[in-house]
Amino acid sequence: MSFLNLRKHLIQINAFAFKNWLITRKRVFHLVEIIFWPFISLVSVGLLTRFLGVDSKMIEFVLIGVIAFSVIQIGQSDMAYVILYSIWNKSLKHEMAAPINAFHLIAGSWVMGLFHSSIVFLLMCVFSSLLFHLNFFASGMARLFLFFTGLIFFAASVGISVCALAFRFGGRAHVGATSLVSVLILLSGIYYPVEVLPKPLSHVAYFIPLTHFLEYFRSFYGFVPKSPHPLLWGFLLTAIYNFIAFCLLCRAIRNARQKGTLVTMSE
Amino acid sequence: MEIISLKDIHKTYPPDRGGKPVRALKGIDLEVAKGTIFSIIGPNGAGKTTLISIMTTLLFPDDGTGTVCGFDLRHKAGKIREIVNVTSGNANFTDNFSVAENLNYYGMLYGMAGEARRTKIAGLIEMFHLQAFRDTPFNRLSTGTKQRLALAKSLMNDPKVLFLDEPTVGLDPQISESIRINLKEMNRKEGLTIVLTTHNMDEAEFLSDRISFLQAGKIIAEGNPTELKRKIRWGDVIRIRYNGPSFDPCHLSSLDGVLEVDVNDGLITVRVDDHNKRLDPLTRMVLSEGDLLLQDIELIKPDLEDVFLELAKTPHSN
Repeated sequence: MSFLNLRKHLIQINAFAFKNWLITRKRVFHLVEIIFWPFISLVSVGLLTRFLGVDSKMIEFVLIGVIAFSVIQIGQSDMAYVILYSIWNKSLKHEMAAPINAFHLIAGSWVMGLFHSSIVFLLMCVFSSLLFHLNFFASGMARLFLFFTGLIFFAASVGISVCALAFRFGGRAHVGATSLVSVLILLSGIYYPVEVLPKPLSHVAYFIPLTHFLEYFRSFYGFVPKSPHPLLWGFLLTAIYNFIAFCLLCRAIRNARQKGTLVTMSE
Repeated sequence: MEIISLKDIHKTYPPDRGGKPVRALKGIDLEVAKGTIFSIIGPNGAGKTTLISIMTTLLFPDDGTGTVCGFDLRHKAGKIREIVNVTSGNANFTDNFSVAENLNYYGMLYGMAGEARRTKIAGLIEMFHLQAFRDTPFNRLSTGTKQRLALAKSLMNDPKVLFLDEPTVGLDPQISESIRINLKEMNRKEGLTIVLTTHNMDEAEFLSDRISFLQAGKIIAEGNPTELKRKIRWGDVIRIRYNGPSFDPCHLSSLDGVLEVDVNDGLITVRVDDHNKRLDPLTRMVLSEGDLLLQDIELIKPDLEDVFLELAKTPHSN
């Protein structure tokens, strides 16, 4: 790939980051989603643990889950909104008439997801330390970085899947986004260990990278992981799901061009 | 030299919620010469938007082959998207982005680098008189200004072919006229090939080097405006009501520009290519008959429906 070509691709990727940045700047609702809800969730769950009188170890367990889930939520919603806003504004046709591809779309929106998630992640770490005495940095910066990297790459799997749903079902895909995320709350051990799930579901939980990333990070707070290499499993599964989700997105775009939904979604 | 070539293009939409599949295009053959303005006209549901969507690669054909600027519609769709652009009547953009932000975003989608993009945006804002709306959000623009923004966006990448799907629909006559003049100038000065769909016969005639009539997914006539008028007797109708003895229509048929004459019970109906040119010699000839007394002269411009009714009566080849 020549330098000029590479530069062009980077500009096209940046187009979606720019769009996401403008959406964040101009839509108060989006800003609320990014900042407000994660903090409401953190504070309310933190206070619940205080009310229930659980020990500090349990507080750490739950708050790690809450923060991890917020990262996933923000990362995936930033990716999904880039397409959902185009569908809601009926401008998708004009954007897809430009020489862009699925990679530009997901890379650009993921970059903004990464930016938003990083800020919220750091703020939540500091906040939980001040309010609930959870020292997120105790495990060391490198481990914290690996944990966050795993989360944000897994958020991409969810975000890409929602984008694929958007090309298939239009604006209704945000229901899919909510559903996918709700499944994660249920199955991946955010508020409780996956062992408390019914046996078949606890097996399913280990097919979710988030379960492994949580086990990895909680291991530094005295919780023994089920698998000896949770980080490795987390990244391996994430890579597989990102690949599958990307293929699904490419297929959804191709189908939208074949069936005419790309045009009808803009009418 | 053809810049667009389509051969036997078919498109059927899958059934929608228990309905039947819709055959939108049934074997379209089309060639558009470089540097021309080509209009596709037809009633609602004729397949115009489907055809333009296929040429812009927003939609893949089921069957048939085609090239745009030498690139295959299906296998080189990305290449085509780099060198064409498209806009439509009632085009939508992100509603709370300003004019400049929307243009900036589209410039980036076309991979334009910073300085070149900024220069281009400034030029387009000036060209389409959008200076006063530079920072106005899209949802606060009037319909006409939105359409000017859509046209500005469609020139962002200096396209070789510009596709316009009903570009003046819903606009007031003054804005429509200025858009037509803009398009004509771009075609004349820069040699830009323009393919447009329209309901408006006058617009098609004013702009087009060639016109295709599309009906029920088929091209039922094609040619330049003069050829088509001749072929389908499309033209203005002059109705002259008179008092006096019977009148021999042969006198009028020999006049230049007269396509058809009918005389019936004190009413002469003459179809001419252009009433501005033909009314005067026509009335002079009628008056030269001496005994006739003119009562009333009525001018009728045929609308799209008239032309299509005419076309539907007899089979036409391309």
